[in-house]
Amino acid sequence: MTTAAHPPIYLDYAASTPLDRRVLDAMLPLMVEDGLHANPASSHGPGFRARAAVEKARAQVAALIGAEPGEIIWTSGATESNNLAIKGALEFRGLTQAHVVTSRTEHKCVLDTCRHLETRGVRVTYLKPGALGLVTPEQVIDALTPDTALVSLMWVNNEIGTVHEIERLAPLLRERGVLFHVDAAQAAGRVAIDLSQVPVDLMSLSAHKAYGPKGIGALFVRRRPRARLAPQIHGGGHEQGMRSGTLAPHQIVGMGAAFEILQREGAAEAQRLAALRDRLWAGLQSLPQLHRNGDPMRSAPHVLNVSFEGVEGESLRASLPDLAVSSGSACSSATQEPSYVLRALGRDDELANASLRFSVGRRSTEAEIDAAAARVCQQVRRLREISALWD
Amino acid sequence: MNESMGLPTHDADHDRDDASEAALLNAFGYPEPVWQRFVDAPRAGRFDASTPGVVSGRAGTPAARSVLSLQMQFDEHGRVVDARFRAYGCPSSIAVGAWIAEWSLGRSTDDMTGLSASTLRRELEIPEDRAHCALMGEDALRDLLNRYREKLT
Repeated sequence: MTTAAHPPIYLDYAASTPLDRRVLDAMLPLMVEDGLHANPASSHGPGFRARAAVEKARAQVAALIGAEPGEIIWTSGATESNNLAIKGALEFRGLTQAHVVTSRTEHKCVLDTCRHLETRGVRVTYLKPGALGLVTPEQVIDALTPDTALVSLMWVNNEIGTVHEIERLAPLLRERGVLFHVDAAQAAGRVAIDLSQVPVDLMSLSAHKAYGPKGIGALFVRRRPRARLAPQIHGGGHEQGMRSGTLAPHQIVGMGAAFEILQREGAAEAQRLAALRDRLWAGLQSLPQLHRNGDPMRSAPHVLNVSFEGVEGESLRASLPDLAVSSGSACSSATQEPSYVLRALGRDDELANASLRFSVGRRSTEAEIDAAAARVCQQVRRLREISALWD
Repeated sequence: MNESMGLPTHDADHDRDDASEAALLNAFGYPEPVWQRFVDAPRAGRFDASTPGVVSGRAGTPAARSVLSLQMQFDEHGRVVDARFRAYGCPSSIAVGAWIAEWSLGRSTDDMTGLSASTLRRELEIPEDRAHCALMGEDALRDLLNRYREKLT
């Protein structure tokens, strides 16, 4: 068993990733006394230098997703990007008679934004995914109405890792003139994204899911054809008027460096992560009555979500203090409601509650995976021996 | 407090099977009386079906994510000689089962009648938001005592 002296095995890279040392090295020069402290909007030498660092990072982020630098708008993170994309697009179009299509398994920040818009008169369709967590392009197309202004669908689900068929859906929406927003917070660097080929209009990105710093993200806003947004933060007209506020060059440079590393190493890393994920799943197979949540055929490389029959979720989480894993999305205590994502897949409350989301990342090792699998097997067996529902 | 209820102290009663193993870290800050019983789960399990004098009681539902099953073996004088529990639920539910199983040893049905949820909450330091776990313990014991009396009549 592990005591407090041992650091927990971190298998929660889908919640957040540690800063890559190379990213830190890129950021540090901007944070010292004589660094690039000037406001990148200032018209003088130091300002121009800060501006150049910001623009280099913009190009690095754009390059990873096949976009142009001018299509990248800096935000505080994917939550703000999702808010800006959805509210901004709807406000620009006008809220009356507007309809939005999304799915029940989107991140809370998309769902809560849609709920907010409903209070302002927007109609929203929340599509129910199939049992494996997939919302198909056909489902989306069937849900469109003449008033549909926007479709918002995540590329990779954060809880179960299911990869939506964005490449197939995007052209269908373009043909019909419906704006398409994609939350790609979990996807960037883990699945291939090329927006020069896939006609997505708006796409949200996060740095801290990709070994960059927290507090910085981006929204891709397509220029041709132009996706138009009403700003949600008003001020000095930064970021083409779409997002005012003094830029944070150290954060921005960190995101750029992180995305540049992903562009070079992401494909090989994704293969390694998929192998670790599969190793973990194989390591759990000595336990009977497991249920893998999500679509094994369309799974992001870093996520494995498993429900354990016969054990109760809170006791399971309490039994694994030496594993940093999530159940559902990030939570602050062992006590929690069953995941709304797993419930949308049709899992009953008991199985939705007794689930763990493991997510592997850059620093994960085979030894960690083996230790984690052994630990989970041991504790699930122990709880099943105690359980009044297990024979 | 344990003495006041006649409960044998935990360490004296339960030999750790692996003393070399360090204690599981109480990362979520459960009350110590709950945590200790959750980790060690003394008397978890059930009697072999052929064991004489065994009476069972049960409370809770899977939908509420709490089920407690108690078993007590009575001697010819109506005193508990051994006890087991099984629990599906949060750590507090498991601790309630373990506590009742230990507490029952040597007691008669009369001694056990009237064990209340508030006593369980006090003994295990169960907070208000887990009061239902203590109620489940009270209900499971009452169910067991009713079955014992049914058996006699």
